[in-house]
Amino acid sequence: MVTELVPAAAFPLQSGLVPRGTRTFVFESIFEVFLLLGTLVGVVVVGYMLYNAYKYRSGSGNGHIDDEDRLVLGELPSGSGGGRKLFTSFFMSMIIVVSLVSWTYLTLLYVEEGPSDAESLDVEVEGYQFGWRFTYPNGHTTDGVLRVPADRPVQLTITTADVFHNFGITELRVKSDAIPGQETETWFTADEPGTYTAQCYELCGAGHSYMSAEVIVMPPDEYEAWYANTTADNATASESSADESVAAKSSLRPAVVP
Amino acid sequence: MVSTKLYTAIYAVLFVSATVQVLVEFAGLSYWLAFGVIMVLSAAKAVLVAAYFQHLRFEPRSLTYLVGIGLVAALALTLAASYSLL
Amino acid sequence: MTDASPGGDAAADGGHEVARGGDDHDFPGTGSIKRWFVTTNHKDVGILYIVTSLFFLVLGGVLAWLMRIQLLAPRALGEGILAPVAYNQAVSAHGLLMVFWFLSPFAFGFANYVVPLQLGAKDLAFPRLNALSYWLYLFSGILFGVSFFQGGTFSGGWTMYAPLNVPTFTPDVGASTAVLALVLFVASVTVSSVNFLTTMHRMRAEGLTLRNVPLFSWTILLTAWMMLFAFAALLAALLVLSSDRLLGTTYFAMESPAGALLWTHLFWFFGHPEVYIVFFPALGVMAEVFQTFPGRRIVGRKWFILAMVLVAIQSFAVWMHHMFLTSINLQVKTLFMITTIGISLPFDLMVFALIYTMLKGKIRFTTPFLFVFGALLLFIIGGITGVFLGAVVLDYEFRGTYWVVAHFHYVMVGGVTALVGGLYYWFPKMTGRMYDEFLGKLHFAVYFVGFNLLYFPLFVAWETPRRVFDYAPELAPWHQLATVGGFVLGLSFLIMFYNLFKSAFVGDPAPDNPWEYATTAEWAVSSPPPLENFDGTPTYRDGHLEFIDDGEVAPSEERSGGPTGAAVSDGGVTASATRAVTADAELPTAEATEVEGPSHASIWPFVLSAGAFLVLLGLSPLQDAAFPEGMVGAAYATTAVAGGVVTLGSLVAMGLEPFHGPVFEEGEAWPFAGIDNGKVGMWIFLASDVVLFGGFLGAYVFTRVAFGWTGWEPIPSDPIPGLVNTYILLTSSFTVVLALVAAEKKHKWGLVTSLGATFVLGIGFLVNKGLEWQHLFHEGLWLSTNVRASTFFLTTGLHAAHVIAGLVVALYLTARAWRGAYLEDSRSVEYFGLYWHFVDIVWLFLFPLFYIL
Repeated sequence: MVTELVPAAAFPLQSGLVPRGTRTFVFESIFEVFLLLGTLVGVVVVGYMLYNAYKYRSGSGNGHIDDEDRLVLGELPSGSGGGRKLFTSFFMSMIIVVSLVSWTYLTLLYVEEGPSDAESLDVEVEGYQFGWRFTYPNGHTTDGVLRVPADRPVQLTITTADVFHNFGITELRVKSDAIPGQETETWFTADEPGTYTAQCYELCGAGHSYMSAEVIVMPPDEYEAWYANTTADNATASESSADESVAAKSSLRPAVVP
Repeated sequence: MVSTKLYTAIYAVLFVSATVQVLVEFAGLSYWLAFGVIMVLSAAKAVLVAAYFQHLRFEPRSLTYLVGIGLVAALALTLAASYSLL
Repeated sequence: MTDASPGGDAAADGGHEVARGGDDHDFPGTGSIKRWFVTTNHKDVGILYIVTSLFFLVLGGVLAWLMRIQLLAPRALGEGILAPVAYNQAVSAHGLLMVFWFLSPFAFGFANYVVPLQLGAKDLAFPRLNALSYWLYLFSGILFGVSFFQGGTFSGGWTMYAPLNVPTFTPDVGASTAVLALVLFVASVTVSSVNFLTTMHRMRAEGLTLRNVPLFSWTILLTAWMMLFAFAALLAALLVLSSDRLLGTTYFAMESPAGALLWTHLFWFFGHPEVYIVFFPALGVMAEVFQTFPGRRIVGRKWFILAMVLVAIQSFAVWMHHMFLTSINLQVKTLFMITTIGISLPFDLMVFALIYTMLKGKIRFTTPFLFVFGALLLFIIGGITGVFLGAVVLDYEFRGTYWVVAHFHYVMVGGVTALVGGLYYWFPKMTGRMYDEFLGKLHFAVYFVGFNLLYFPLFVAWETPRRVFDYAPELAPWHQLATVGGFVLGLSFLIMFYNLFKSAFVGDPAPDNPWEYATTAEWAVSSPPPLENFDGTPTYRDGHLEFIDDGEVAPSEERSGGPTGAAVSDGGVTASATRAVTADAELPTAEATEVEGPSHASIWPFVLSAGAFLVLLGLSPLQDAAFPEGMVGAAYATTAVAGGVVTLGSLVAMGLEPFHGPVFEEGEAWPFAGIDNGKVGMWIFLASDVVLFGGFLGAYVFTRVAFGWTGWEPIPSDPIPGLVNTYILLTSSFTVVLALVAAEKKHKWGLVTSLGATFVLGIGFLVNKGLEWQHLFHEGLWLSTNVRASTFFLTTGLHAAHVIAGLVVALYLTARAWRGAYLEDSRSVEYFGLYWHFVDIVWLFLFPLFYIL
């Protein structure tokens, strides 16, 4: 769907200028730049404000209000000069904001395109009050635990069985709404095997605070071994995952990144 | 301003146009063509009522723009929201 | 008592007995409790708004404290002071109270007080409707308070996402009551917007063209425009939601084709303009104070105004940036990313304009300036962190986290900071006494520290999901810091309350203009200003404010007669028929002016609002259009009926009450010059009604597109009843036109017959619709049968409700015409016609969309 908008080949910037990679990498690279520039702009502007407020404080002798400039009660409002300075600052801020956001747009197109079907693992995610169900390509279903291989893109198709939820794994920088009657798609690639936490990011009722799932990223060969032993199962808690499900429910704390 | 005669004529046009609108449905046109014709007829009637019965034609144009703004806002919501589904 | 005036429309009214001008003679003083229940004066109403909104600030603040205590540590199930549902209620009520019942009304307290003074008007265009806005606001807040005691208030967040907002998932009666409280609040806002827009466009002093209006008034003008349209969309969303909750329609139900998405569209179409609705007045305060205390005129004034106008328009084209992670397509995402960036840029310009205004001035760091200066600092931080959210890739990860929470608190509470500055700024004007400067500065210091201690750590702890109290333990120190900050911020207000309360009684007397270099007109009158604001008629015709002796003005006004120079009666939706007698050329001028002093008192806005409160409270326990069984249900039903009687009775009483708005000489009135206030008000109201029906039709179209347009069969299998109703409505429109023609020709029986015919035709429309619905019910169709039936019954039902409201007015007009009214002055008939034709036009679209396509 991206290609119809902007053919991938037409990208002028195929170099490293546009962050591409895992969702974590993409987010961190862009966030860093924004944080750096944002802090810089903030410090400059706020510093300038404070400096001038101090400089022109009443009694400092720096400010002057000429008689012809003096504000008079009941005058029709008008403006002061200084338009040139105003527009210079305005255009500078405009250039920063517009170029920053345009730059991230190229990454957005990359993120939206997602991994190719051939290489990715497709998992269907279904939210419910208050937990998550995962269905693998072979029909195997687990509740509360998502197992994925490291270094392989995972394509998630997300929906809900009841109210509006939002599925997000914050450490892996992936998130999408779970909307009744709709399906949303997103993807992620995990570099590091370990245990992560998926949480609900949209208020969904009494159990919202505890609506989490375990995301276990396994070394690819271990994952293959585990997957080979699963079978199609439409029950919510299959044999192989029942114990994990209970484990996930009892651990109310989000797991810490390994 | 406007004579009672003109008001009566407009009323007659509205009445007939409402009848035609229903007949279009049974005229065997394709769905979207019929849709277009029917909506155009509705819009034409609305314009007549607004222009003469609400005498917007004889008021300062600002009142027409005022209602137009509301209409644009409503259409923006409807069209953009529906398009986002596609 | 006998009618004091000879001839004119009062005698023709058929002698309902009133002593004209009697009201202001028994208008009680400010020390009397009664004064505050009957007052319609804009300054009194302003003070009522401010005091009431501060009460809701405290309520919302206490809820925030409960949340912050809960968040001191990650809580396992059962830990902490709030149970999970109680926490969700606190979160939701905090958001709703602060956004709706505190922020906007606080700002509109100032608007009420200051705007007429800045414009040179003696009051708002419709003083009784202004009092009505206030009382509807207060009663909506009380209704929201009641919701806590009906099994628990709404717990689905202030964004009220579907389908959590329907009774399947939030079954408490209190949740319905909270939604109804919002409906009542929106009614208040709509009345208020119509009033402000009419006033601000029509009642400016001579020489005060729009471009010359002070910046605070400019922000209120734009705010009122945004409110008019945005709240109409919210009203559509809330009425649909109320219907889903009370009547059992299924728009937002889980099974609806795209009900959850429909809610997000309707809500955010309102929700994003709402951000600017609450922020613009703060911006206006900043602009005024940034000129007064450095003693400099604002840099780039014209660009500042242009920037605000652009933002106000564009605010209606950015709503989907709240929905980047929903299933909307990439093209729409791109479009809304561009509009979002576009809307941020004008703010850059405004911020720079404010900063540069300080330069070369002599800045006096009084309390108002400190608050406003602090507000600008906070807004800059809020703005920069907002750019992060504009980058869609970052927004994907920030969605639903504390980054969003921290960002919008910096922006919105940053706005509150400026408004608090405004409170200190105008306090001497309102009370006639100075506040204590030291305590004011102390308040600022504690407030500013508390603010940053509360909200800045939330950026650091941004990975915390919103509305969750079980978070990653390593984030706990930041949340603890925030909790401490929350208490510091909240307690800082104690200093303010003490300072202002004490100073209001024993502060130093304030001069007319305590702030050197203030330029706007409110500082040119005494503190507090006299009841009718100015001793003469203000004018700017020589380029600066002057007051012309009233004696010179009045005669010219009498001579001009007609709609432009006439005293204005309080018309509005109910089409009040009382006319000011100053338009009557037969009366000697001096006597007319003396006898006809403007009214300042009416109890009916209060009574009407109380009635509306009872109606909604009575309806709150409905589910699937049925009251609960037993005593409780009967008690609720009785309440609703009693409320209905009170509401209808006070409407009629208000229509019959002789009430004269302020006499005004038309000065600058672009773009509505030469159109009567009542007509302008009616058209502005109709424009908002266009958006209300637009919201309903938009919901229908959206749902049908999601369902599959052509697979959707119309609910009535037979279009003939609909066609008959089209004929009936067209005919009734024609009879209304004939009524107006008869009234203009002073043909009494023609008028009575035509109005009567309109009424009968309206009844015929309803009877025909009733038969049709009866037939459909017998076929087994009901509101809850499916979403097609829901849209059919609710949309045509809303239209029928408009017909019923019109019929009430038509009956009133017919009865009064019978007794001889409207022959001298047919405006009430004309305004009713505008409304009635509008209802007709709506049907012209409903009929094809719901019956034949």
